[in-house]
Amino acid sequence: MADYILFAVVALSAAALGVPFLQYAGRRGNLPGYLLVAALLVALASTILNATSGSTSSAPFGSLLASDSLGNLFAILTLFVTLFVAAASLTLVPSGKSSNTPFYYSLLSFAALGMLLISYSADLLMLFVSWELMSIPTYALAGFQKDREESNEAAVKYAVLGALSSAIILYAISLTYGLTGTTNIAAAAASLGSQLTDPVAGLAVLLFIVGFGFKMSIVPFHMWAPDAYEGAPTPIAALFAAGTKKAGFVAAIRVVLAISTVYSLTPQGGLFTIPNVLAVLAIATMTLGNLAALTQKSVTRLLAYSSIAQAGYILIGFVVYSYGQGNPAFAQQAELGMTGALFHIINHSVMKGAAFLGAGLVILKLGSGSVEAFNGLGRRMPVTAFAMAISFLALAGVPPLSGFWSKLLLFTSVLNTPYAWLAVAGVLNSALSMGYYGWVIKRMYLDEPDGEASRVLEPTSFVLVLGVLVALIIAFGLFPGPVISLSRDAVPALGGP
Amino acid sequence: MSYVLSLLILVPLLGSGATFVLSSLGGGRKTAPYLAAAFAGATLVVAGYAFFWAYSHTPALGTYALMEDHQWITLPGFGVDIMLGLDGLSAPLVLASGIVAVLSILSSRTLIDKEEPAYYALLLLVLASVMGAFTSLNLVVFYLFWELTLIPMFFLIGIWGGDRRKYAALKFIIFTFAGSAVMLLGFLALYFGVSLSTFDIPELANLGIPVGLQYLPLLAVFVGCAVELPVFPFHSWQPDAYEQAPAPVNSLLSGILPKFAGYAVIRIALGLFPQAAYQYAWAFIVVAVFSMFYGAVVALLQSDLKRMFAYTSISHMGFVLFGAFATVLSGNPLGIEGAILLMFTHALATSSVFTISGFVEKQSGTRKIPLLGGMGQRVPLMAALLAVASSAEMGIPPFASFLAELMVVSGGISAYAWTAVTVLVPVITGGYFLWMLKRVIIDPLPSAADPGRAVEDVSRVDATVVALYLVPLVLLTVFSFLILSPAAPVAQWTANLVHGGLHA
Repeated sequence: MADYILFAVVALSAAALGVPFLQYAGRRGNLPGYLLVAALLVALASTILNATSGSTSSAPFGSLLASDSLGNLFAILTLFVTLFVAAASLTLVPSGKSSNTPFYYSLLSFAALGMLLISYSADLLMLFVSWELMSIPTYALAGFQKDREESNEAAVKYAVLGALSSAIILYAISLTYGLTGTTNIAAAAASLGSQLTDPVAGLAVLLFIVGFGFKMSIVPFHMWAPDAYEGAPTPIAALFAAGTKKAGFVAAIRVVLAISTVYSLTPQGGLFTIPNVLAVLAIATMTLGNLAALTQKSVTRLLAYSSIAQAGYILIGFVVYSYGQGNPAFAQQAELGMTGALFHIINHSVMKGAAFLGAGLVILKLGSGSVEAFNGLGRRMPVTAFAMAISFLALAGVPPLSGFWSKLLLFTSVLNTPYAWLAVAGVLNSALSMGYYGWVIKRMYLDEPDGEASRVLEPTSFVLVLGVLVALIIAFGLFPGPVISLSRDAVPALGGP
Repeated sequence: MSYVLSLLILVPLLGSGATFVLSSLGGGRKTAPYLAAAFAGATLVVAGYAFFWAYSHTPALGTYALMEDHQWITLPGFGVDIMLGLDGLSAPLVLASGIVAVLSILSSRTLIDKEEPAYYALLLLVLASVMGAFTSLNLVVFYLFWELTLIPMFFLIGIWGGDRRKYAALKFIIFTFAGSAVMLLGFLALYFGVSLSTFDIPELANLGIPVGLQYLPLLAVFVGCAVELPVFPFHSWQPDAYEQAPAPVNSLLSGILPKFAGYAVIRIALGLFPQAAYQYAWAFIVVAVFSMFYGAVVALLQSDLKRMFAYTSISHMGFVLFGAFATVLSGNPLGIEGAILLMFTHALATSSVFTISGFVEKQSGTRKIPLLGGMGQRVPLMAALLAVASSAEMGIPPFASFLAELMVVSGGISAYAWTAVTVLVPVITGGYFLWMLKRVIIDPLPSAADPGRAVEDVSRVDATVVALYLVPLVLLTVFSFLILSPAAPVAQWTANLVHGGLHA
């Protein structure tokens, strides 16, 4: 029953609207954070209930929301991400007398609500409203440290490009409505499929890819990401990488891949097809992300580029899936590819979450996010260093950690299609990525600390958050079966909605 | 279903955790080596049992002893299971790994003096992954264990190694990770390529992979193996890693890890892609022969003991590649039989010379050959050990390394007569080893070389450890059938793939 989703919406709205009043009650400490954590737990519980109840009804929102397994997967994922971001913020965001913590947690709650609704959106207008509900609070969150210049720069850059991407999405929606006369995603996709001859249909699909591409930070729409990740408070960078980025992916799955039954973007067919476009974006994204990451001196920037590169791997699954849409002979590969993409999306949230939060604690405690600060971290902050090392190895795809299996599925799925070269590129990129992941691990464990070498206190609550994430990385690696089958269940049926 | 092979992996794996926890709790320095030795010893017992089982119940052509099959991931459209098995190819390697691990831990007692709990835990972790790699019959699980040796090895080189350890460790991990990733690509290509979607080696071998699908996976597997063996021009990480690793770690790094590649060449490159391997065998033989000469000639030019041994290793691993592909080309099983024997003898011989180089460095403060000298008079026991171990490494009777090289070269000649020229490789090797021995043992200490003065002789215990590496090599000269009789069906089966008309 979709009533469960309603619980989640109410809990998050209550937190979003209620928490700011604490500012005027003078409660600026961590109380708002605890309230948000509670609201998120309620929301998470209700989405899990919704998932297990197996309901596919869309009431009481009419055709605006669809409670399907894809929606459940992303709703649970994004709520879980917001949960660990909120929990880590309790340590990482200063909660003194002059702080604005109530607004911080309120904005976070709005963003969570937006991501939740994007996950379930079945209508383009609902999708757009949820998209803005997610995006606008994060513009403010990126600039939350208002006395830091980089934070302001990050917020402005992110807001301008974010607004541009929203405008592009809105334009694509209007084109779609003009062509099909509906904003219902399923109906619009089916209708666009019958309008093969109209180049405007191809333009609409392209604009959707561009618009969602900004949030997914795929090359060449990634320019905002490194600055925003570095300038934003680190837990918010974790939210960008693990949360809002994933909302971009679910939107793309719902809209672009549903329409990819159209297959060819131009009337004449030829090279300009959706899988071809996605394949070019995939290889550009993974290669540029990894190459740029190799040259970074700041760990948050390094993680930002690594996050871009990982989006490239995920796109491999999209390529295979959209190719399978047009070629039923490849249905098996398409399903496996999308399974791998969803699994990698889940893994990436967990891995990047651990990495960013670890980096956040280092920045808080050592006052610097440059790679030099990580020298000898294995001795100074053993838990943080271990969590980061495990997440780096998982990101590089070292078995038996979670990232290995999802990459394995992605590469296996693409190898016997015409896009086999994407697997070659992906494997070479994984090897390349060891260059920077191994480099940071070397600094943490092999190098001696510069200057002060004393042990740094790691707060227990924070250690708990990192512990949960690391445990998930290892558990998904040793027992990937259940998560893979969850991802598989969420793969939208081939052949369009 | 037997659980011997699971035990082979689980004993060192659990031992790794237990050693770390127990020795961290109390008296790390003292207890860690003994705990680790106990677990490695237990592993050796299991390995010995498995080896003699595979020997006494030699599996028929193309089958395996002590088979186990555990479901891991079973989903519609995707499955990976942990399939373990032993045959005449893997049994000697499992036994050699057990021996090398125990002796490496015993020699670490004097050569490692910091953070013992972590060191021994990592060493046992390497052992567990090594056992997993040699026994697993599923391509993905094989890759997984292969990768799993690299990470602990990275830390073993990077934390306990020599002056340039960090550089060497990073180079090691980047090269080997890249190589094995390419190899994985070859494995994955098979999944949707064959009618039965599976990663199990026996099933794929029985199914027979279409020839058209063999070429690129063969190339991918070869690249992975070429980095790990290593073969020119993929070897640049190896002299640095071998030189910088602590001597006991060398035993595993140079004694065992290259055998992954030798094993994968025979089991996977030849076993799964026989027709493609047959067509391009000439190219692989050229690469192998070049590598044999290259390693030997460059070793001749080295002034550092460990770098010299490292290049010697390149040369010897070329023999393995040479023997394997010679069998495919000629159908004469001698090449693979020799390669299997050579992998066993090389594991022990190389470990012994690297271990001694560790003692030499500890006592003299240097490994530079020009700075060493006069060992025969000052430290006779160390000099004697170095001389004897070098004989084993260069392949002089009564050490079985001699027999192995002889078999490989004879097998090679039956493929191409011109490869008889490889007889020169052992001659070059013998030449530079004897030259090294002359300079280090007989020549007087160079006057300006205080650092080269060995202060103390090796202790009796350490000398025994080195001697224990060599005893099996002497015994094998007489009892070579222990390795060769189970190896014969593997070699014959591989030769039959092309020449016996099984799948041709």
